[in-house]
Amino acid sequence: MGFQDTAGLYGAAAALRLALFTFFPALPDLLTSRVEVSTPVTSFKRLQEGLFLYNHNVSPYDGGVYHQAPLLLPLFSLLPDAQAYPYFTYLLYVLVDIVSADALYKIAESGEAAVSKLFGSARKDRQWSGYVVAAIFLFNPFTIATCLGRPTNVFTTCAILHAISKAISGNPLTSMLALSFAAYLSMYPILLLPPLVLLAYDRQHPSKKITSILPFTGITILTVTASLSMLLAISYLLTGSWEFFSSTYGIQLTLTDLTPNVGLWWYFFIEMFDSFRSFFLGVFWLHLSSYVGGLTIRIRSQPLATITILLGIFSIFKPYPSIADISLSLAVVPLFRHIFPLMRYTFFAASTILYSTFLGPAFYYLWIYAGSGNANFFYAITLVWSLGQSLLVSDLTFAILRDEWEVERPEMVGKEIRQI
Amino acid sequence: MRSFLSYLIPLLLLFSDVFASDYHEQLNLKPLPQSSLLASFNFRSNTSLSQFEAHNFRPMGCRELGRAPWDGTKEGGTGVELWAWLEADTEEEADLKWLTLTNALSGLFCASLNFIDETRTTRPVMSFRPEGDHGSALDNMHLLHGVLPHEIVCTENLTPFLKLLPCKGKAGISSLLSGHKLFDASWQSMAIDIRPICPQGQECVLQIEQTIDMVLDVERSKRPRGNPIPRPPPGHDLKCNTSKPYHSGDTCFPSDFSEGVEWSLDQLFGKPLKGTCPLTDLDVPPVCIHAPESRDILTTPGVTELKNPDGLSRCYQIPSEGDFSMILPHMSREGDNAKTVADETVQPETPLLYAERSFTGHGQERGGVQSILINPSPDTVVEFVYMESLPWFMRIYLHTLQARVEGTSGVKDDIVEEIYYRPALDRTRGTQLELRVRIPPASTVFLTYEFEKSILRYTEYPPDANRGFDVAASIITILPSTSPGAPPSRRKTSNLRTTSLLLSLPTPDFSMPYNVIIFTSTAIALAFGGLYNILVRRFVGADEGQAAGGLKGKLALLVAKLSARVKAAKGKVE
Repeated sequence: MGFQDTAGLYGAAAALRLALFTFFPALPDLLTSRVEVSTPVTSFKRLQEGLFLYNHNVSPYDGGVYHQAPLLLPLFSLLPDAQAYPYFTYLLYVLVDIVSADALYKIAESGEAAVSKLFGSARKDRQWSGYVVAAIFLFNPFTIATCLGRPTNVFTTCAILHAISKAISGNPLTSMLALSFAAYLSMYPILLLPPLVLLAYDRQHPSKKITSILPFTGITILTVTASLSMLLAISYLLTGSWEFFSSTYGIQLTLTDLTPNVGLWWYFFIEMFDSFRSFFLGVFWLHLSSYVGGLTIRIRSQPLATITILLGIFSIFKPYPSIADISLSLAVVPLFRHIFPLMRYTFFAASTILYSTFLGPAFYYLWIYAGSGNANFFYAITLVWSLGQSLLVSDLTFAILRDEWEVERPEMVGKEIRQI
Repeated sequence: MRSFLSYLIPLLLLFSDVFASDYHEQLNLKPLPQSSLLASFNFRSNTSLSQFEAHNFRPMGCRELGRAPWDGTKEGGTGVELWAWLEADTEEEADLKWLTLTNALSGLFCASLNFIDETRTTRPVMSFRPEGDHGSALDNMHLLHGVLPHEIVCTENLTPFLKLLPCKGKAGISSLLSGHKLFDASWQSMAIDIRPICPQGQECVLQIEQTIDMVLDVERSKRPRGNPIPRPPPGHDLKCNTSKPYHSGDTCFPSDFSEGVEWSLDQLFGKPLKGTCPLTDLDVPPVCIHAPESRDILTTPGVTELKNPDGLSRCYQIPSEGDFSMILPHMSREGDNAKTVADETVQPETPLLYAERSFTGHGQERGGVQSILINPSPDTVVEFVYMESLPWFMRIYLHTLQARVEGTSGVKDDIVEEIYYRPALDRTRGTQLELRVRIPPASTVFLTYEFEKSILRYTEYPPDANRGFDVAASIITILPSTSPGAPPSRRKTSNLRTTSLLLSLPTPDFSMPYNVIIFTSTAIALAFGGLYNILVRRFVGADEGQAAGGLKGKLALLVAKLSARVKAAKGKVE
């Protein structure tokens, strides 16, 4: 089990991406301009604009275009100009994808999905190997489209996967560092903190173990707070003001930019009555964060399952979702290969997602370019997309819980059941 | 002269509150090719600063207006523009004064200037230069500029405009102005400029200059009042383009205009000029016309003609009483006394710069702007500031800004010398982009940039949302030439405006806020409810637990009872 096994896979994935970049030179910019790939808070084109302003000493946060984290600016200004030498950017994004896949490989190889500290599935032998899980991630069309479209949430994806992988390998501090980086970039990953703390607590190294959960939680939260404040302080030093705060995180809270995306928020808040806007913003955020506590407590024995379900929920209900989020959510689902037989609506969920994947761009075209459809066409597709995904997520939850129940009652395997 | 005028002042104040020291007015007519006529009305009056403050502008709110050294509005087919230098210590104070000014002017001119809010206000950095004499007062000045591209100028703006004149449209050249003709013109513009003038060793005066420019289509304006509706002319009245090869007695290619139509002043404006305004400066001839000396012009008797030595224009001193009119008869292009176009009209001088701006791209997601700037002169470099003030919902990407030069060989590519950019903030302020450009002789510059069209909240769209949003004209300030041999016309700044643009944004469905709220909430409720259901309920085998429990059990029980009863009834019947 080492890099040699996967080198071929990673090489193939990198080659495929570079081939797409090389042989279809118009494809990256086409995907960058798609609303399904780029959102106001992740768009590569907006990053270019922010970078241009940053390099010309205009504050990118004193404007309505750039809403991404300040540390991305010096990172990308180190790279040569993306217009003149695009290959440096391409290589960076290919590398990030492979690093994410490597983290996923480690998560899968650990077997945490089937056998955690407090729970061991009866079906643990049916798991997919890390190689397969990494391959599914790397060759998922959503992941490839994301890589070509170069939104900046691939960095968030990478950080989240590393946070999980480090927590499993018994490095709670590194894991928390990775999580704070993800939260710094996109804010919503901070909601993954409770299950991640539990995961890290369960998977501590026996040699340096903290046996009580309270001090452990204290230390991890302190780590996250410290590293987040550090990142924010560096950003402050970099931009010279706290303007970036309202521009990067404030926009996710207030949704001032209503550019269409695959989520449910944009059309809802276009059509919302002004007097109820702030109320519903509060409700939507409350709804998004309400899952964390319940799931963490209910599926206490399998923190990785909680994280998987939460990632699925975030990709549906976060303010600016894109296909990069579903590619992350679909990346961790194959870890639970062993419970796929317990899922009831896989065909329906998969076909709904495929249906909306193909009809979404078509309906968007009808609305924006052809003028023969209106906004409701695209809105309807985002509804279908969200329903398909939420079906997948709740079906996965059902399967996880049933798997847990069957450990208690092995005689019920394969029998019809109901919930009371 | 001056003593005479100062003697007049107390008298004048009885009639007019505004006009004090001196006043003159002039109408400049300029026949243009293609049977058009440019009529420029100019009214200029001076008032000393002390009187200005002592009289009707006593209230605090308006003193700022008085202090504003230079303040102009320009109204035309493309909206209303207002800019002013305001004296203030801080930006906030300037904003407050700006608010007062826009509201005051809005009332004064019956225009919606009060809609110039913070999203439509910019602070130009390189464009506009103060006019008049300011001394050191400029240090504390804030230049603010606002524009309403969608504002339509109409009669209700002309009436207060004329009210400001001492003769109020009853006598003098202002008697020609009527809403019917002015707003029927092919192009019209109304402007008011206020600037302080400080002659050496005298008290400073405030100069108010009101101008109205209009380009009249001669044939259209000549249409008699009795027959105002345009109808297709009968066949024998059709004007044909005789240059077409197929032109003959029975085929006719209609021409848009006919050259050399006879016209008179009272025909074009619908009424004659009624004498002179008694308050006007007698040295300034009230009517001038730019036409070559070979052009025949007939006037009403009692008029003195003053020929300009350059032979290209002449002016008329008209009697203070009685009507004045002039006739430009048809000049024959054939026969012994044939005249050419050059005999009839003075060739318009070539402007320093041609500018046009348009949108590129299609669809309602993104687009581009292309400005084409042409320097027609074969030998002079033109330096100018190109200013755009764009609405916030047009998100421009400055990194896509490109300036391409075409024309003379060997020109350097970086013709943009300086950029000032203030990005838009959603719902707070618009984009301000100023470029200082040097354009080489005989070449064309293509300025392009890309932008994204934002989608707005449904309450932010106007009732006619699918018409689109007006984008203000870009303003080009041509900077004075620095070379010593430049002609006098190049020694001062001049402004140029492109047309305004119509930006169409993606629109939501305005009819269904309730539906959207209900659908989205249902989707969320389904997801949340489904997950909640799975999380909180216990698993049991299908055949376990209380079989008859719940609604289903009760229903099954009810069905069993009913069927038993039906069976029993059947049994009885049989």
